[in-house]
Amino acid sequence: MDISEHLGTSQTQEDVEPFLELTTELVQKRRSQARIIFDRFIRNRAAVVGACALICMFLFCFVGPYIWRANPNAIPLKIPLTGPDASLAPPSWQHPFGTDDVARDEMARAMVGGQTSLLVGLMSMLMAIVLGVGIGAFAGYYGGIIDNILMRFTDIVLSVPLYLLLFVLSVAFSDGSPRSVIILIAMLGWTYAARLVRGEYLALKEREFVLASRTIGAKNLRLMFRHILPNAAGPIIVNATLLVGTNIILESILSYFGFGIQPPTASWGSMIGTGNSFFDADPWLIFFPGLLIFITVLSFNLVGDGLRDALDPYMTER
Amino acid sequence: MGRYIIRRILQAIPLLFLVSIFMFTLIHLMPGGPDQVLFNPHLSPASRAAMRARFGLDDPIPIQYLKWLGNALTGNFGFSFGTNQPVSEVLQERFPATLELFITGLSLALILAITLGTISAVRQGTITDYTLTVISYIGICTPIFLFGLFAQYIFGVLLHWLPTSGMETLGYNLDPFDAFIDHLQHLILPMLVLSITFIAGWSRYMRSSMIEVVKQDYMRTARAKGVGPVKQLVGHALRNAVIPLITVVALDFGSVAGGATITEGVFAWPGMGLLFFQSLEIRDYPVLLAMLLLGAVFVIGFNLIADILYAVMDPRIRYS
Repeated sequence: MDISEHLGTSQTQEDVEPFLELTTELVQKRRSQARIIFDRFIRNRAAVVGACALICMFLFCFVGPYIWRANPNAIPLKIPLTGPDASLAPPSWQHPFGTDDVARDEMARAMVGGQTSLLVGLMSMLMAIVLGVGIGAFAGYYGGIIDNILMRFTDIVLSVPLYLLLFVLSVAFSDGSPRSVIILIAMLGWTYAARLVRGEYLALKEREFVLASRTIGAKNLRLMFRHILPNAAGPIIVNATLLVGTNIILESILSYFGFGIQPPTASWGSMIGTGNSFFDADPWLIFFPGLLIFITVLSFNLVGDGLRDALDPYMTER
Repeated sequence: MGRYIIRRILQAIPLLFLVSIFMFTLIHLMPGGPDQVLFNPHLSPASRAAMRARFGLDDPIPIQYLKWLGNALTGNFGFSFGTNQPVSEVLQERFPATLELFITGLSLALILAITLGTISAVRQGTITDYTLTVISYIGICTPIFLFGLFAQYIFGVLLHWLPTSGMETLGYNLDPFDAFIDHLQHLILPMLVLSITFIAGWSRYMRSSMIEVVKQDYMRTARAKGVGPVKQLVGHALRNAVIPLITVVALDFGSVAGGATITEGVFAWPGMGLLFFQSLEIRDYPVLLAMLLLGAVFVIGFNLIADILYAVMDPRIRYS
């Protein structure tokens, strides 16, 4: 309820305006928090390029197959010995990325493989962040013995070299489907987010607004996820963005060594793994999926860095 | 300081126990254990059971773990399922190759990261700085095995300059000097590939910490005294700028080990990484377990070293 109504004065918005215009600083149009962050992000040229590249990449992978109608999986019945339709053909107008060892169109496969790689990267990021935020929130909020147990668990995962653990886990649990690879990568990706969130919670739970909501009767879970979590959102979002890139790299490493996504499902990593056998004859089979991985990971990193700068509350608005 | 170190070591011991329990369980969860991968498929069920008993695989996992732990505490890590050698012997055979790759790759990465980071910091905002930034982004955003593949293609297939796999040319009886040169030629590509990712990441750290240091008051004092530009950097700035980098390097130890594993896999460099892939294939439990634990020991140890180095190099930091 507006205070002016209580006082009986009818001070409307128009009456306030001239006051604000006295100082030059306040002439500036009021912007919402989201708008301020968006404006800062837009001003970072590298981040905008990254965001645009990501949009293009998603269009390429998810809309591309409706425009480029070559079949990514069917092996042609008759394969000519030479020409653009032969197997292991270099890039041509018929096949912009060339053809693979059984004369399938490499670009169509790159699109479908990209769907898998992007999906694995995004979904495993989501799972890892949910897991990390949950564990970090409980550890940081409750402290004491819960904190100790959860953080020792985090230490165990962090103390074994990541790739070794990843390979062992994949042999133990993965059946080569994208879903199992997503779970696998998420099981290792949550540690950083957990530590980050724990640190934020340790600091935030002492603040007055938490005490205030506790006084009016908010329960622990509500405090943790409705009151504290939004205040810790910035670093989590940045970490999540960077994690997608890391996860795409992990997926490609797993699939390259044959522990990840199994054929016939294509992913950028498994395409490189297959192309590896024909490297001498046709380096394009590795070049294109490699380039796509590079562009995607780079874009996610640029966007992540841009978000980090945009969300930083200490960066003054100029 | 001494007490701090002792406390940290005492904390590391229970952690290692937990890691060993975790890893033991994980490894025994792998499908297709030795009785499917290793044993002769034509064995009768009776002799299969006898073999399982011989390898100690018929006990429940907790009992197996306790038996293994008892042996491990006396330094006996069991016998490799694959070669029947003691595990320590298998690891000792492979360790020198990995150590060689590791030390050369790490040194190269450190030297180049410090140099490039410093150059980038001194020339901040110039075209040199931007070029180095772009290059390091490329290094960070490309999976390490891709560098390996392209290095093999460019230097091996296209240019015929360097060998692409293994540690020595087989089938030739070279005299010691030629053998040494041959060995070096085999080392160059894996070493370069291993270092690239870390050069990229660490030079970024070096750049930002150098930029911080150059702004300090004591640097202005040094300039005012008339210290030359090179002496300023090497004599005054470097030591303080390297501190954050050293901790990052020590903390990155696990990823260097992982990177070495992948590099060895790509280049067939016969070290522990290649052994890891081979053991994984035949489910060589004792060897895998020993390697994972060795990795954990190194990671935990280097985390501790990072903390200690931090205090040694920066007297403002005190642990209690």
